[in-house]
Amino acid sequence: MLPTPYVKYDFDKVYEPSEDSFLLLDSLETDQAYLNERFAELFPVVCELGPGSGIVTTFMMQNELPAAHALYLAVDINPWAIEATLDTAKRNNCDKKLIEPIQSSLTASLRNKQVDVLLFNPPYVPAEEIPDIPETRDDTDTWLDLALVGGKDGMKITQVVLDQLDDTLSPQGVAYILFCARNKPEEIVDQMKSYWNIELIQRRKAGWEVLSVYRFSRK
Amino acid sequence: MKLLTTNFLKCSVQSCDTSNDNFPLSYSAQSTLARDESIEFNAAFLLKILDRVDWPAVVTVAGELGNSGLPATKPVLSSGDVAQLGDDELALLRDLHVLLVQTTLVEGEMKCRNCGHTYYIKNGIPNLLLPPHLA
Repeated sequence: MLPTPYVKYDFDKVYEPSEDSFLLLDSLETDQAYLNERFAELFPVVCELGPGSGIVTTFMMQNELPAAHALYLAVDINPWAIEATLDTAKRNNCDKKLIEPIQSSLTASLRNKQVDVLLFNPPYVPAEEIPDIPETRDDTDTWLDLALVGGKDGMKITQVVLDQLDDTLSPQGVAYILFCARNKPEEIVDQMKSYWNIELIQRRKAGWEVLSVYRFSRK
Repeated sequence: MKLLTTNFLKCSVQSCDTSNDNFPLSYSAQSTLARDESIEFNAAFLLKILDRVDWPAVVTVAGELGNSGLPATKPVLSSGDVAQLGDDELALLRDLHVLLVQTTLVEGEMKCRNCGHTYYIKNGIPNLLLPPHLA
């Protein structure tokens, strides 16, 4: 069992690590050998979208995933998440790794076809609408909402990332994306499977939700 | 923000994706640089970085920030095995470590060569969020 990062931050400002975060960590642990082997000879670029507390990116650095040396881009729109990610990295002695927090929206500012490992625990909760990006740092309620709500079927944000996956991933790139049952992941897999290899890595019941993590790679 | 990271960032404006000028962003010569010596040199790692980076973009950005001493074409080393490299080659990797890994942009501006939009780096963090009318 790989160690889990220690996280201590104000969870009124960023999403507190929960069942979904831990399922993503477990998925990465499941795929440890796969990732180590796939990226052994490269300088891998890892990119986490919406790191929140930074627990997932720190877990990757702490456990040398996918390799001992990599560039870790942690992209979040929430300024508090940028701060929390740096804080969590530091608390777990990972601040000497190549970690780069970037304030940006999803993959908009990433050069095409460069990401080797994409990680995304999205805002997946179905909701009527998604709030606008707050104008101030202090509107913490809205920042937190943005970490949770995903519009229709909870898929509005995830769909943006899936639509851009071909532009985002490097030729050898893989993406780990988390879904809840209400996102209808089986339907998404059906739609995408002629272009992508898609593997279910973990599925778990969490309270009244069923969460799953799928791995996407090029055919 | 490490200079290395400039090799992976483009303009956030979607319509700039069809131009060839959205990468690399153009970095202001007035940017404040610092050197972070906490990350140790690892020759094998630097070899892989050298292999990976878009060299013309490294040359362009380093030039804008005041380092115009880089060769125009990517250096080709005699071996992929660190133990086989000569002293000059190891010195080159060391210089690249200082440039790409240890050099950080603390405060600065970066501008899209296509649309001209300016993004800011503050306290070492690049902000590539767009104002609502451009997003």
